[in-house]
Amino acid sequence: MSHPVSHGSVARRSIATPVLLGLLLVAFALVALAAGSKPFNQTIIDIFLKVIFVVGLWVFVGNSGVISFGHIAFAGLGGYVAAWTTIKPMMKGLSMPGLPDWLMQTEIPYWASAGLAAGWAALWALIFGSVLMRLSGIAASIATFAMLAMVNSIYSNWDSVTAATSSVVGIPIIRSIWPYLIAALIAVFAAWAYGISRHGLALRAARDEPTAAAASGVDIPRARLIAFVISGAIMGMGGALYAHSIGIVTPDTFYLGLTFITLSMLVVGGMGSLSGAVLGVLILSTLIQTLRWLEAGVEIGTTTFALPGGVQEIGLGVVMILILMFRPAGIMGNRDLSLPARAASETKGLQSPKT
Amino acid sequence: MKRLLTALAATTCLTAPALADNDDRIVVGFATAETGFMQAYDKPAQDAAMIRISEINAAGGLLGKQIEVVNADTKTDRAEGAKAGLTVIDAGADMVVVSCDYDFGSPAALTAESAGLPSFFLCAESIKAGIQGVGPNSFSASVLAAVQGATMAEWSYNKKEARTFYRLLDTWTEYNKGICDGFDWMLPKLADATLVGEDTFLNEDASIAAQITRIKALPEEPDAIMLCTMMPGAVSAIKQIRAAGINSMILNGSGVDGSYWLSAVPDLSNFFVPVQGSIYGDDPNPEVTAFNAKYKEVTGGDPSTQYVYPGYVMIDVWAKAVERAGTTETAAVVAELEKMTAEPTLFGPRTFTSEIHHQNQARYLIVETNAGKPGVVDEWTISEAIPVADLLK
Repeated sequence: MSHPVSHGSVARRSIATPVLLGLLLVAFALVALAAGSKPFNQTIIDIFLKVIFVVGLWVFVGNSGVISFGHIAFAGLGGYVAAWTTIKPMMKGLSMPGLPDWLMQTEIPYWASAGLAAGWAALWALIFGSVLMRLSGIAASIATFAMLAMVNSIYSNWDSVTAATSSVVGIPIIRSIWPYLIAALIAVFAAWAYGISRHGLALRAARDEPTAAAASGVDIPRARLIAFVISGAIMGMGGALYAHSIGIVTPDTFYLGLTFITLSMLVVGGMGSLSGAVLGVLILSTLIQTLRWLEAGVEIGTTTFALPGGVQEIGLGVVMILILMFRPAGIMGNRDLSLPARAASETKGLQSPKT
Repeated sequence: MKRLLTALAATTCLTAPALADNDDRIVVGFATAETGFMQAYDKPAQDAAMIRISEINAAGGLLGKQIEVVNADTKTDRAEGAKAGLTVIDAGADMVVVSCDYDFGSPAALTAESAGLPSFFLCAESIKAGIQGVGPNSFSASVLAAVQGATMAEWSYNKKEARTFYRLLDTWTEYNKGICDGFDWMLPKLADATLVGEDTFLNEDASIAAQITRIKALPEEPDAIMLCTMMPGAVSAIKQIRAAGINSMILNGSGVDGSYWLSAVPDLSNFFVPVQGSIYGDDPNPEVTAFNAKYKEVTGGDPSTQYVYPGYVMIDVWAKAVERAGTTETAAVVAELEKMTAEPTLFGPRTFTSEIHHQNQARYLIVETNAGKPGVVDEWTISEAIPVADLLK
C-alpha cells in the first residue's frame, strides 16, 4: 500500500476473490444436490456453517492480528435468539418460563431469527468490544476467552431464560441447503467488503505497523471495534442457523469444542487472507469427511476396508501438524485466490507487506 | 474397463437408497456413539439390544423376516448425531435407536421424528426423552429418574421405618435433579415423614465439608440421606459422608449401581440403590442371571451396571408391538406400544400411554451394599404413578 489507491479500483481488483470463493461454495452445494443423500446434504450444511463461523472469525482475527478465543460466544448468543424467537410459544413456556411475555408470544421465520441473531450478537460485540478492544496482543486474546467463559456460564445457569444446561428443543429444523449457502455467501461478501473498506485497510495497517498506523491517524481501538462488531454479527447469524440445522441448542455446543475447531480451520487455511479462511474449512471438512467414510468402511471388491474408530481425530491432528510444518502461515499464507492473469500483478494491494 | 467399473459403482451407489426403502426388510438403525464419552453408556445397552435381536432372529425373525441392523456413529457430538440419524434413515431403518442421554440422543431422535419414524432412547431417564421433548413417535427404554427417587423414599419409609430425611442434591445434571424431584413428590405423601434439611453441591466439588457440617449440626442424625448424584462425583461425596461418621442410610438413584467403585469406599454399609435388574447374580428372576451369562459370552465381560438392561427391553417391546401390528408402519407400531399396560419383560412390567412414552411407575429391585458387598434385598413398586404434570414442573 505504498501508493494511494482509489477505493473503487481496490474493489475491482479484488472482486475476483469473493466471486471465486462463492463459486466454490456453490459447487459444494451442487455436489450435495447431485448426491441426493440426506446425510451428505447435512454434511454440506455443516460445512457451510463452519464457513460462516470461520469467515466471521477471520473478519476480526485476520484483519486485526489479535487471536480471539471468544467468538463462539457470539454464535451462542445467536443460537439462543433462534430458540427464543422460533419455538412455538407453548413449548417455550415449558422450557423457558422466565421469558418476557412479548418474547414468549413471538414466533418468526428462521431467516428473520438469523437476522435478529446477527443484530443481537453485534450489540453484545459492541458492548464487550468497547472495553476489550483497548487491549492488544495476548491480553486481548485472554480477555476474549474470559468473555466466552462468562457467556457460557450465564447461559448455563440462567434457568428460566435459557433452560440452563438442558437442551432447548423445538427449534424448526431447516434441511434445505440453500439458506445456508446464501448465508455463507453473505458472510464471504461482507468479509470481503469490510476487508477492502477504509476501516479494514486501516486495521490491517495497524496490525502490521501499529506505531506507524497510529501516527498516521488510525484510531486502533475504534478500528478493532468495528471489525469486532461485524464479525460478531456474522457469528450470531451462523449461530442461529446452526440451531436451525439440528433443532436444539445447549450452552456447551457453543464452547471449547467449536472454538478450537474453527480456530484450527482458520490457522490451517491461513489467517492472513479471506481465501485462507474459506479454504481452511473446505479442506479440513473434506478431510474429516473422508476419514469418517474410511472409518465407516469402504468396500473394495468383497472385503471391507475400515479404519479403527477414532482415527479421524488422530488423522486430522497429524495432517494439521504437517500443514503447519510445511506452511507455517497456513495453506494460503497471506495470498488470496484470484484470476491467474491478475494474480501476479494486481492482488498485492490486499496482501500483507510481510510476504 | 475401468470406466465401466466406475459407472457400475456409481449406479450401485445411486440405487442403494432406493433398495433400502424396499419393505421386504426390517431394519433397526443405531444412531449411537461408537466413539467419545457416550460410548461408555451406549455400547453396553446396544450389546444387550443386539442379544435380543439375535434371539428373535434365531427364533425365526420378526413377521417372518430377519431383523437387520445398520449403524452410524454420533461421535458424542450433537451435529454428528443429526447426521447419524439421517444416515440410518437413508439406509432404510424402520426404527431409530439413539444415544442414552437426552442431550446427545435428541438430534438423531428429531430426524427420525421428522421422517415419521419411531425412535427409542437407549436409556434416557428424563421426561423429555419421548413425546414431551421429541414428539409423538419417540420413546425411552429406561425408567424416569424421578421414579428412582420416589421408590427409595417410599421403600425406606415402609421397610426401614425411615422418618427423617435429608436431601442432598448435586445440581450437575438433569438426571440428578430428576431423582430429587421424585423424592420431593413422594415425601409429602408419607405420613409423619419429615425433611429435616436439604443442601446442594456440584459433582466436581472436591470437598463437601460445608454440607457435611450442616448435617452434623442437626440435633439428631437423619434416618436417611437422599443423595441425588451420579458418577464420578458420587464416590467422593459418599466417602466424605461416611468419613465424617454419619451412618444414616444413604438412598441413591440407579446411577451409582455397579461394584467397580466400591473399593474406593471400603466396607460401605447401609447403602441402597434401585436397579431394574441385578448384575450381581442374585436376581429373583433366574432368566436375568441367564441373560448376564449370555452377555458375558457375547461381550467377554459381565454387565458393569444395570444400564445394560434397557437395551434388551427396548427391542423386546418394540418387536412385540411390530408383531401385534403386523407391520413396521410407524402409526400402527406406536399405537400398539401405547396399548402396553404392565407388559411383562425380563426387567419388570412396562407401560406406555398416549400421554407418556416412559415409565412413571416401575418395579425396582433394591440393592443393599453391606460391608462392601452389594446384593438384592427387596423389590418395590411405588404405590401410584407420578403424574405427567408433576414430571414437567
